[in-house]
Amino acid sequence: MSTTPPNEKSHGIELPQPTAGPMICAFGLTLMAAGIVTNWIVAVAGFATFVAGAINWFRNANPDSLEMLATPAEEKPTPIVPRPGSVDHLVGDATHRARLPMEIHRYRDGMIGGAIGGVVMAIFAVVWGLISHGSLWYAVNLLAGTLLSGVTDMSMEELRAFHAEGLVVGIIIQLVMSIAVGLLYGVILPIIPRGTLLFAAVIVPLIWSGLTWATISVINPALGAHIEWLAFIASQVAFGITTGWWIIRCGKISTMQNWHYLDRFGFETQGKGGGS
Amino acid sequence: MTTAPAALAPPEALPQNGIVNGKIGIACMIISEIAFFGTLISAYVFYIGRDINGPYPQEVLDVSIAPLKVLFNSIFLLISSVWIWLAIRSMRKGRMGAFIFWWALTVLCGAEFLVGTGFEWYDMIVNDGVWMGTNLFGSGFYTLVGFHAFHVTMGLFVLTLILILTLLGHVTPKNVEKVDLVSWYWHFVDGIWVVVFFVVYVFGNMPIS
Amino acid sequence: MSVLQPPAGPDAAGPVPFLSRLHEWVTTVDHKKIGTMYIVCGIIYLIIAGLEATLMRWQLTWPGMDVLTPEEFNRLFTMHGTTMVFFVGMPILLGSANILIPLMIGARDLAFPRLNAFSFWLFFFGSLLLYFSYFGGQGLYGMGSAPDVGWFAYAPLTERTFSRGHSTDYWILGIFVAGIGSTATAANFIATILGMRCRGMTLMKMPLLVWIMLVDSVIILLALPPLAAAQILLLFDRLLGAHFFDAQAGGSALLWQNLFWFFGHPEVYILILPGFAFVTEIIPVFSRKVIFGYPLMVAATVAIGFISLGVWAHHMFVVGLSPMLNTIFMGSTMLVGVPTGIKMFNWVATMIGGRIRFDTPMLYATGFLCQFLLGGLTGIFLATVPFDWQVSDSYFVVGHFHFVLFGGLVFAILAAVFYWFPKVTGRMMNETLGKWQFWLLVIGFNITFGAMHVSGFLGMPRRVYTYHTDRGWDFWNLLTSLGVIVQILGFALFALNLVHSLFKGKKAGDDPWDAWTLEWSTTSPPPPHNFEEDPVVHSRRPLWDLKHPDDPDWKYE
Ligand code: HEM
Ligand SMILES: [Cu+2]
Repeated sequence: MSTTPPNEKSHGIELPQPTAGPMICAFGLTLMAAGIVTNWIVAVAGFATFVAGAINWFRNANPDSLEMLATPAEEKPTPIVPRPGSVDHLVGDATHRARLPMEIHRYRDGMIGGAIGGVVMAIFAVVWGLISHGSLWYAVNLLAGTLLSGVTDMSMEELRAFHAEGLVVGIIIQLVMSIAVGLLYGVILPIIPRGTLLFAAVIVPLIWSGLTWATISVINPALGAHIEWLAFIASQVAFGITTGWWIIRCGKISTMQNWHYLDRFGFETQGKGGGS
Repeated sequence: MTTAPAALAPPEALPQNGIVNGKIGIACMIISEIAFFGTLISAYVFYIGRDINGPYPQEVLDVSIAPLKVLFNSIFLLISSVWIWLAIRSMRKGRMGAFIFWWALTVLCGAEFLVGTGFEWYDMIVNDGVWMGTNLFGSGFYTLVGFHAFHVTMGLFVLTLILILTLLGHVTPKNVEKVDLVSWYWHFVDGIWVVVFFVVYVFGNMPIS
Repeated sequence: MSVLQPPAGPDAAGPVPFLSRLHEWVTTVDHKKIGTMYIVCGIIYLIIAGLEATLMRWQLTWPGMDVLTPEEFNRLFTMHGTTMVFFVGMPILLGSANILIPLMIGARDLAFPRLNAFSFWLFFFGSLLLYFSYFGGQGLYGMGSAPDVGWFAYAPLTERTFSRGHSTDYWILGIFVAGIGSTATAANFIATILGMRCRGMTLMKMPLLVWIMLVDSVIILLALPPLAAAQILLLFDRLLGAHFFDAQAGGSALLWQNLFWFFGHPEVYILILPGFAFVTEIIPVFSRKVIFGYPLMVAATVAIGFISLGVWAHHMFVVGLSPMLNTIFMGSTMLVGVPTGIKMFNWVATMIGGRIRFDTPMLYATGFLCQFLLGGLTGIFLATVPFDWQVSDSYFVVGHFHFVLFGGLVFAILAAVFYWFPKVTGRMMNETLGKWQFWLLVIGFNITFGAMHVSGFLGMPRRVYTYHTDRGWDFWNLLTSLGVIVQILGFALFALNLVHSLFKGKKAGDDPWDAWTLEWSTTSPPPPHNFEEDPVVHSRRPLWDLKHPDDPDWKYE
């Protein structure tokens, strides 16, 4: 479009002149509003004020806006000094705008890891139930109490007995939760700066146990009433170790962030910078 | 691609004159006015048929005021949109005489509309005894139609001011862009009347079945 | 550039007399001065509304206290809410945007400088009108009293029958007048952003703050006029005997709720979006990384803008809308969580791997992230209809919105104050005081409003002026009130810091934070014309390009 130099080059920088018009207008308008709740004379005075302000404003803006020349500032901005070579790259050189993490775990590995961890945890819990209460089904029934309201009212005897629906529901809960948590593990582990296994095996199980402790009486009153915390935490740790170990064992893949678009879409082409 | 001075060449300038700003500003004002009227209109529509005592619109709007009369007034208002468009066109071409003619015609038509509204209100208040507090219809009618009339009045005031300034020779073809913005507002006032008319006199005035 | 003509005005040498200084401020059309006036007024009202809240907490510290009468209590919560939303939140945000938008897009001023002054004065006088009700609430002849109908002024409580005198009219008029100003400012911002960007700044090269303010202005434009219209209906009910909200004549109190919340919910987003904007500018600078997912941030902002216009009935779950409507609004409300969540993730992703500097602005921004997250989560709870039925109109709701507005917005504002104070005044704020203030506020805030969630769960309704001792609320209310004391200490430090830094603060220089947007390329404070030369930009971070010519941004955008 126009290539004419900005007009201040020719005759200084113009700024609109100060004016009281708008302020008087606003005051008039407010007085008019105030007239409604006080006395009509206030409103009339407000209207007069408003008109006075409006005239002032109008003459300021028409036919051409009244302008004044800006005083050139005494203080000039300090020139910006280039600092070549001062950029620290997150990863390598070519990937300056890299988004972290550069490498992630496959979602699939997270879910599989979660499932395996869930099985280990279940075995642990069942064995514990067998040892301390002499029943294979005790732990399963308690877990099923999350969804089955009847469990809350069961006696100790009933809890030790086999319930088909308890088994089905317990397995479903255990699987779904394990896979979901495993997926979260897979997503979160790559952004943990260090101590990944510690995070997976100890910290998360502890946080999870804390969360359970705070909410269990609402979510699963049956489990809340019978839970033994040390065993519970131990079973969580078993899950954490297994899942974390599996995910880390499976290794990472790099994200596609610095691939060429064609590569991302899976086209086989030559001459484009390919992925890693 | 290491150093690309071409890419550093100053990009195209964006338009930086006040007229574009003015257009955006007026457009924004119109949008906010639409939101305002939209609310009044929603309230009016919401209350259609909810009155528990008369007079109902069917009695007032149909019987005492020939619908034709309102239509007649409306046509005056709507057609003024054409006049103002012609006025701006003349001004663009530098024909100030034609501008004054069309502009004055716009003012006259707008004034006719207001006078018509005045008669209608007089009729309703005095002959039918409908006012704000009479019933929901009265509340809604006077609020909605009244606010529209208020906007017409404001518009007329500005139009007249410009007419006077033109006659005094203060407005020249180089002000056309500013004057054009006023015409946008006028078109808005006309356009919203179409909706108000439809809601109040047609939709809200259906025979009770 | 050659000097052509000395300016008209007071001689630069020697102290300027008070009156001409006052005259200069009153007649100014400079966006930076107007913005400063907005913010100063906002801070004054913050103190006032804070004192109102303190009085209420004093009354509620213990069951059966009688510090306040029930009537006084009603006035206080009405004025507190109204003031905080309209006369603290709005002016501080509009004021900040006033200062920052032209500087960030390389313009000399807003598109309509006089209109800008007009808007400010409307806000100023409008707020005075509301507070005048303390003296003139019954009309000039009777005793004064402030509005006492709550900040959302539900009908039919506001009808003439139940609200005698003029106090409710003052509520209507004060907000109405100020609202005209806000709407005009929104139009002004839109025209400025669309029409006055410097050369090279395409829409997708604007700083995100500017983008967010653009969307914010659009919401203002669409949401404030409906409030004005609704207020006019109410005013006609009260003054001219209309029947809009008068159930006995077929009118509908429910319509008021719909109209008010059609404004009210967008309003909360109008308030929080600038908070997002501040944080979005601050986090990258103090993480030394470019913002994560710029285009997605823009998209999320626009999405929030749209969705926020369609969720208002979540404030009305308990009035008995149809199950269908409840479900629809539950869905749309939860939908807002998605773009908001995207923003949270982008902020966190910006921090990850960054070389984070925890200077005060970043500290507050981080506080914002944590506390706003909690408030957003309780919001999702409330969006769930059955849950809302349990806790609506209880202190849980009060806890929710203070987590988003105080823990979120106020922390974002504090981050912004610490970040841009050097630009506006030329002096740094004191870091040590700032950090003390931060920790006092974090502790006090979480005690106060965390405890409110519990008392809400235990069934304590909001807006009660006292309670019985046998409800199990005593402890939690005591805690809430004790937290206030800690917060007051924090705010006292803030006031001290502001005043002290204004006169004695360390000189800031042009670019104290080593930042990247255009406002840091001019002097602090900027001259009236902002920039000597029209800036030209090539990327979203023009100053980065200048500082690192070997690795400029424009290669990647
Ligand atoms: C994830 C986003 C959010 C959701 C899902 C949400 C949901 C809700 C719901 C359902 C209510 C009504 C509660 C009731 O009265 O029963 C509510 C109240 C409220 N919310 Fe939010 N909210 C969200 C974010 C925000 C934000 C960002 C703000 C402000 C910055 C905010 C401010 C408020 C206010 C002020 C109220 C109370 C209004 C009153 O009754 O006085 N909310 N919120
Ligand atoms: Cu809401």
